[in-house]
Amino acid sequence: MTPQLSAIQEDALTEFFNIAIGRAAAMLSQMIGEGIELSVPVIRLVRGQEAAEVLGGAERRVCSVMQTLRGDFSAEAMLVFPESQSLEIVRLLLRDSVPLQDITEMEQDALTEVGNIILNACIGTLTNLLSGDFIIGLPQFRLGACSEILAAGRRGQEDCMLLLHIDFRVERHAITGYVIFMQDLPSFQALIQSVDDYIARNVSDVPRS
Amino acid sequence: MTEPPRTVLIVDDSSLSRMLLKNLLLERRPGWTILEAASGEQALEIADEHVPDLITLDINMPGMGGIEAAKLLKERCPSAQLAVMTANVQESVRQRVQSLGILFVAMVEKPITAAGVDKILFRFAA
Repeated sequence: MTPQLSAIQEDALTEFFNIAIGRAAAMLSQMIGEGIELSVPVIRLVRGQEAAEVLGGAERRVCSVMQTLRGDFSAEAMLVFPESQSLEIVRLLLRDSVPLQDITEMEQDALTEVGNIILNACIGTLTNLLSGDFIIGLPQFRLGACSEILAAGRRGQEDCMLLLHIDFRVERHAITGYVIFMQDLPSFQALIQSVDDYIARNVSDVPRS
Repeated sequence: MTEPPRTVLIVDDSSLSRMLLKNLLLERRPGWTILEAASGEQALEIADEHVPDLITLDINMPGMGGIEAAKLLKERCPSAQLAVMTANVQESVRQRVQSLGILFVAMVEKPITAAGVDKILFRFAA
């Protein structure tokens, strides 16, 4: 059975990720010299193969950048977006600095850098707010079918996956991506305990919903 | 000299952020009235009934975003001062807020902290 989040836990996690994505967007905006319009992030909690369905099906080709997080709770943090959008992201990032014929060669490096910025913003914001001690691994790029990509970060059938849906809009380009926190159940419970501790430290009149 | 009681309207879709901000404001200004809106639309409804002295506004909200809400709030309560508390700290957002011609107090990056609230209150008093 998928664990449930209370309304205030869900609100807190959404707000933490909202802060993180805002920071990442500010950094990406500086890199490309354009304002980035952001959607309000939406989080969902799913188990195992449900994640592949949310991402468009097990066979869908996706790019991913993954970083490990080890500490008071552990997670595999992953940025996933459709392969069909990857070159568009690279073009936006590199602008005219690289000739068109060289862009595909730069694709992996550029996408890894985007992943690094977004994932570090998410991980850094979460760990700073939740006051833990963590070690963050290096970003790893992968390209493949959705089911293979998700399997790379999973440790068991019972993993909990916190899916964060984000939409970026730059000029005429609309880019949809997902940040996924993959955790086993004890790590997920430790994350939620940290969220509860944060709320208890900072808010005195929490509604019990 | 004692500062007169003020009315603050907090506009933020996050109930956690509203609670944090309300707690920090009331710790510092116990006599103030705090109103809360979970959306731009709700903020406009409240502004029809009350006249806030200070509005704190989030930018990224479902439905009416903070920039559009700021434009309409300016028409309803032109004397209110505005502080933006947002995770979306891009320079382009700051420029859009400043171009609205609102009595702009400060733009403070989330998460909501005591230092951010102190900055707003300092500039509001000035």
